[in-house]
Amino acid sequence: MSRALTVAVAGNPNCGKTTIFNALTGTRQHVGNWPGVTVERKEGRFVHNEQTYKVIDLPGTYSLSTYSVEELVARDFIVQDEPDIIVNVVDASNLERNLFLTTQLIEIGRPLVIVLNMMDMAREKGLKIDTETLGVLLGAPVVPIVGRTGEGIDVLKDKIHRIQAHTSQKARHIDIQYHRDIEVQIEKISAVLAQGESPPVNVRWVAVKLLEKDDRIWEYLDGFADKEKLRQTTTEAIEQIEKIYQDTSRAAISHARYGFVRGAMQECVRSSTAEPIDYSRKIDKVLTHRVLGLPIFALFMWLMFVLTFDLGAYPMDWIDAGISWLVNTLHALVPDSMLSSLVVDGMIGGVGAIAVFLPNIFILFFVIAILEDSGYMARMAFIMDRVMHTLGLHGKAFIPLVMGFGCNVPAIMGTRILESRRDRILTTLINPFMSCSARLPVYILVAGAFFPENAGTVIFAMYVLGVVAAIFSGKLFSKTVLRGMSKPFVLELPPYQKPKLSSLLLHTWERGQVFIRKMGTVILVGSIIVWALGYFPREVELSQNYEAQSARITQEWEAQETEIEHAFDASVALGEEQYVSAMVPFESSGHYKELVTQRDSLKQQIAANYQEALQKVDFTRQAETMSQKWIGRLGKLIEPLVAPLGFTWREGVALVTGFVAKEIVVSTYGVLFGVGSDASEENAGILTSLRNSDMTPLIGLAFLVFVLLYTPCLATMAAIRRETGSWGWTTFSVVYSLLLAWLLAFGIYKIGSALEWLT
Amino acid sequence: MFSRFRNRMGNSAPRHQLTREGVRLCDLHPGEKARVLEIGGSEQFRIRLMEMGLLTNDIVEVDKYAPLMDPMELIVKGYHLSLRRMDAEKIAVELIERNE
Ligand SMILES: Nc1nc2c(ncn2[C@@H]2O[C@H](COP(=O)(O)OP(=O)(O)O)[C@@H](O)[C@H]2O)c(=O)[nH]1
Ligand SMILES: [Mg+2]
Repeated sequence: MSRALTVAVAGNPNCGKTTIFNALTGTRQHVGNWPGVTVERKEGRFVHNEQTYKVIDLPGTYSLSTYSVEELVARDFIVQDEPDIIVNVVDASNLERNLFLTTQLIEIGRPLVIVLNMMDMAREKGLKIDTETLGVLLGAPVVPIVGRTGEGIDVLKDKIHRIQAHTSQKARHIDIQYHRDIEVQIEKISAVLAQGESPPVNVRWVAVKLLEKDDRIWEYLDGFADKEKLRQTTTEAIEQIEKIYQDTSRAAISHARYGFVRGAMQECVRSSTAEPIDYSRKIDKVLTHRVLGLPIFALFMWLMFVLTFDLGAYPMDWIDAGISWLVNTLHALVPDSMLSSLVVDGMIGGVGAIAVFLPNIFILFFVIAILEDSGYMARMAFIMDRVMHTLGLHGKAFIPLVMGFGCNVPAIMGTRILESRRDRILTTLINPFMSCSARLPVYILVAGAFFPENAGTVIFAMYVLGVVAAIFSGKLFSKTVLRGMSKPFVLELPPYQKPKLSSLLLHTWERGQVFIRKMGTVILVGSIIVWALGYFPREVELSQNYEAQSARITQEWEAQETEIEHAFDASVALGEEQYVSAMVPFESSGHYKELVTQRDSLKQQIAANYQEALQKVDFTRQAETMSQKWIGRLGKLIEPLVAPLGFTWREGVALVTGFVAKEIVVSTYGVLFGVGSDASEENAGILTSLRNSDMTPLIGLAFLVFVLLYTPCLATMAAIRRETGSWGWTTFSVVYSLLLAWLLAFGIYKIGSALEWLT
Repeated sequence: MFSRFRNRMGNSAPRHQLTREGVRLCDLHPGEKARVLEIGGSEQFRIRLMEMGLLTNDIVEVDKYAPLMDPMELIVKGYHLSLRRMDAEKIAVELIERNE
């Protein structure tokens, strides 16, 4: 078998490239990233007539003049990597605009197959397309296809095969003809290009690109010797054209391209119905209605939220229970050792704590896939753009931000719906300020302890503060580190479609598996580190002999129990004496039964007391042990850092463990106060201990603000790393949020103290 | 990490100032049709519109405004396109069909 041939699938966004890519390759595909950028790169293979083809699904582009990273990727691949065959997917129901890109692909001059996709929609619109003639006019085979049903895919494979086999295909290649005024200039530049040393392969294409003032074309001319002459000729040519057309040369060329497209369409496209029904427009009369639009949008957001978090709660519980069971079973089976603790507590426990988010993430991605495939996502952007624009963001950015109230991890992964990398980074950076559900237990605890009357208000204030912090940071970032790159908002509103289940599942899986992969890497390492912090040093010196205490308590309990038995025996002996002359034995008398009940209740009571005392010793031991482990020492080490906020080492430890996951703050407090780590919100022990500690309501408030603002958890950090593709941005996010948290908590504490407020 | 964005900014590109007075695309009401006379704004914006099929001499129809009155929805070359009003302000048009 000969070498694999590369097939690049190119076309406008939403024209069905991915659908056709999937139809061509089936399951033999691989999703990765383009080198250096976090743009998804999908590659797959198929075999046809004993020839292997490697297919690349390129990001959607409207033309080859590029501004976004995604478009750059597509263009670089087409131009520099020289794929053996370009498959240009064209939306047949929206031919005119789609063929604009085609004119540019024709000019590049590589073997080209044009796919007329969405033929079903075109037919519905009453369009009749003469594909034979269109193929002749465009100088490339045209294959009508319905990507959704796979109709025409085999013909496409044949055409791909044939275009490769027939070298004569080159002869059919046509040039896009421009107006004479432009053609003259193209010829002039071409002449200079052809004369020079090592001329480019496709002289005409380069000449047109030079005329278009394409800023990247010079990169392709690195080896060209006489750059000076070329520059001069180009400048003169552009001047001439602009003088004639009274517009930029690029506009003149674009006009000519559209002119060519219109000419071709006039010959090949017939419309049978005079005014086809625009169903999407009818649907939009309701969904983006002046008055109804927003409530309907809010309803969809609410549904998405409920589905993701409420429906997700069930499998979440199952996973949680499953992991607990696994951990407990393994603990019971395997003798205690460092290795078993590492594997069971560190790895399984740690990754398990994050695996519980899997259902949320998969459901969210499924819902997003529905929104995207149906076409409603574009309408969401349309409806919310007014709001998001004030933050320098695209309308679509609203969705990941709202999802952040549930959980920042799927929300940050949801930023993939944004097309521009800058928007994705900005949305990712401000997402953690949306107060996720894991922070709620902390609010309930601390607000419950210090603001029992106004707990609800305080908690609500936290959510509001989070939104304010997000808005503030968004504005700050778009004026500084992410300045001025907001692209003009020119958004296509594609027709509504009925989503196809198989493609929904595929999209969900593709995005979700990224999270699964992350659990095996960053999160695993993080869990091991945290485990080690809590596990080492192995032997800690405790101030009290807890074992002896426990033993003493046990002894006391045993002694009490014996005492009760003795007293009972004595009473029974007394009773029997009185019953000697009676007809019935003492054992069946009411008095005896009374004695038994009395004894049993006494026993029960002391057993409960005993358990409680034992637990208390155990909790105190755990608390002291924790303070001696590295994690506790770390808390003490950072105490000077948090002391200005009024925090003690306890808050230090709680904040450090809260880095793993926010809800752990509560259980850490439980352990530190020696009241057990039951993380339920009603843990009255923690509540009382908090109130009795040095903490004042003011410090409590500062603590809440800190918890709200600093990096939510390890999983969020991993998601940020994943979506920005850079440790730089991840560090930036962590440092920024820590700084903001610290400053605000400091401000609250200092101002409050000065005003003697809430102390 | 920041510089990667800076050099891709469109700011340095020339801005085209509209030469004519008169009706702008953002002044139109839903249902009205107009011919595009001139497109201003940054080169990036102008290119974007060109490749999306909005060129001078083209006919555009305003379909509607978003519930919050911005952005607006247009019909160009048979498909639906959305623009912010501040961008539509840079497009000079000539009204050809009034809203009855
Ligand atoms: N009616 C119809 N819809 C299609 C066809 N091909 C793809 N679609 C739908 O068009 C939408 C966009 O397709 P996708 O492959 O994601 O486009 P891409 O952005 O170019 O990769 C999806 O909802 C597809 O299900 C087709 O031939 N007919
Ligand atoms: Mg795609």
